[in-house]
Amino acid sequence: MTQAAPTPAPAPPVVQPATTPAAARQPAPSYVDTPALLNRWQLIGMSVAIVFAVLSALVQLVGWQSDGRAADDTEQLLRVQEIQSTLLRADALATNAFLVGGLEDTDDRAEYDAAIDSVLRQIAAAADAQPADQDVLADLNVAINDYDSAVARARDFNRLGYPVGAEYLTGASTALRADAIPILEALVAANTDRAEGAMNGQHPFWLLAIGLLALAGLLWLNQQLAQHFRRRINKGIAIAAAIVVGVTVVAVIGAWARDSSNDGLRDGSLAVAVSQATARTAANDAKANESLRLIKRGSGADYETAWSEAAAVAEDALRRDTGDAWDAYADAHADIVELDDGGDWEQARDLATTDDADGSTDDLDAFDGQSQAIVDTESAKVTDDLRSGRWLALTVSVLTLLLGIVAAVAVARGVGERRREFA
Amino acid sequence: MIATRRWIAPLAALLVLTSCGYDATRVPEPDAAPTQPGAAGEPVECDNPLASYSPSGDAEAARAQLINEGRLVVGVSADTFQMGWSNPIENGVIKGFDIDVARDIAEALGVRLQLRVISAADRVSLLQAGEIDLVARNMTVNCDRWSKIGFSAVYYNATQKVLVRADDAEAFEREGVTSLAGKKVCAPRGSTSIDNITEIQPDAEAVAATNHTGCLVKFQQGEVDAITGDDTVLAGLAAQDPYAVVPEQDKLTDEPYGIGVNADDIALIRFVNSVLADRVSTGEWKRSYDTWLKPYLGVDVKAPTPDHSR
Repeated sequence: MTQAAPTPAPAPPVVQPATTPAAARQPAPSYVDTPALLNRWQLIGMSVAIVFAVLSALVQLVGWQSDGRAADDTEQLLRVQEIQSTLLRADALATNAFLVGGLEDTDDRAEYDAAIDSVLRQIAAAADAQPADQDVLADLNVAINDYDSAVARARDFNRLGYPVGAEYLTGASTALRADAIPILEALVAANTDRAEGAMNGQHPFWLLAIGLLALAGLLWLNQQLAQHFRRRINKGIAIAAAIVVGVTVVAVIGAWARDSSNDGLRDGSLAVAVSQATARTAANDAKANESLRLIKRGSGADYETAWSEAAAVAEDALRRDTGDAWDAYADAHADIVELDDGGDWEQARDLATTDDADGSTDDLDAFDGQSQAIVDTESAKVTDDLRSGRWLALTVSVLTLLLGIVAAVAVARGVGERRREFA
Repeated sequence: MIATRRWIAPLAALLVLTSCGYDATRVPEPDAAPTQPGAAGEPVECDNPLASYSPSGDAEAARAQLINEGRLVVGVSADTFQMGWSNPIENGVIKGFDIDVARDIAEALGVRLQLRVISAADRVSLLQAGEIDLVARNMTVNCDRWSKIGFSAVYYNATQKVLVRADDAEAFEREGVTSLAGKKVCAPRGSTSIDNITEIQPDAEAVAATNHTGCLVKFQQGEVDAITGDDTVLAGLAAQDPYAVVPEQDKLTDEPYGIGVNADDIALIRFVNSVLADRVSTGEWKRSYDTWLKPYLGVDVKAPTPDHSR
């Protein structure tokens, strides 16, 4: 960039120092301390460049951190939903196994134990991942321990042939829904809010505003210098302005792209994962209520109402690829209800507990497995995407700082050039 | 809100830089639910609640009053050990003293028996709604119920008693219900048992549960100190827990059991009374008692003398 030629305009308002005694006797003239003024402008210009760099880098850093938090919060959200689904899966297994009698299927027992182990491990992981969840997770741990103890007692009494076993089991299921599920729902709500909030951590408008303000400051400085030195454009300031424009354009485009990507994730993969996890939870809740209805043998109307409510949640929430499995389960359940209402409890029980294709368990298991696969796939997409390109964002952030220093040096040299001219 | 956060977040973030704490997760308070035990209705006076209709062996007339052709639907319990309970060891088969009565009635009628498990609170309403033909679920005959449904003659004379912890048994045998002062006593919600214990020992704290088995769960978990109910039911509870005992004691009240029937089905009531009389005369009543109740009650009793004077 070239400097403009001096114009034949009136002399600059730079006044030579008054050194003659005559001058000293005259009224004080309008005096401008040009070196001090240049020092001040130099300081202002460098400050503008440095402050721009720091603010822009910080906003980028905040976005970078926010994406990281969004990934962590998403993982926590899906972890909590996994706890909820697995817990109701365990309840479905426990209640269904109870229908068979005291000598329960060893595979079902092993799956129940594995589900409870998984839940407890995930609670520990969730408490480690999010300190804000620790208190309620501790309460959840107590509730699940109580539930597991009650189920163990139910099994023991059931093996002895005592009806109090069924009371322990239904009490455990009721307490599970009264104590543990509200905690999990609160955890899901809190982590959904956190994840969605963190996904809004990119701020292209702030980056643009910071860049425009810095640019305005540099233009103002250039104008002041132009007025005093008849140079329309100061080379150093021009370089600094170019750096500000370049950095701002790159940062704004990057943040905007990231923001759009996050919006897409929130409305796409994250929404699918959350909905399908909700459907899986509700489906297992429905299966548990189906078993409880049969355990109560004709006085389980409340459980059928609960089944209908859970089924409605599952149908509203399920997103893709599982429609047939759910419909098959719902049809099998309808057959069970018809048999039970018609007085054929034994056949209804057999249909609810058999692993054959015509029973409700096989269809529910298929839906559960498909749902879990969808949740795993979509949640991996979300976290992978949020964590991808973070090195680039960090690099741009560091580069912004370095370029800001370069811009400050350019301003210093540009103003220094005027100082040399003045000297 | 999110839009607001979009602008506020950077400012906050710039202030705290890397610190990004979240508010602690909170669980909303559940809506408060009423916990008072439900009270039974005011007793209705009548001359003789034990009196039923004279027996009749007219099976055809009785069958004509069944809700479903060829099927007798009987409301029973599946958790009252020895009276009517589902045995998990025997593939969930429901059996017991009450169930024997239901089976004999269905057999005499020549129809298929459908056992429908019902709660104590549903006994009268399901009969009135026409959803079940009979109730064979340790149901006490009283005037209040006679005003809503009909009853067979009494087929068992139960009494209300108290079950306590094994280490409280000696004190209870010595002092009776006085020893329950300041203690928690459980009975099913809405039952006459809970009202009786409140009236007889007002210094005891009455605690309600869904049913007697629910009381046993509370008892085993230390939430209550005693359970009150019919001796037949308490015997079943004690059989499931070696630390639960029914001490020697005077009865609190008489609880005569009858088969509940819809008030309009008088032909069916007469037929049931006929079956009940046959069970006594053939020895079936005693065989059933000896099988289910005697091992736990520990006493020989005779079948009640039926009153057919209604």
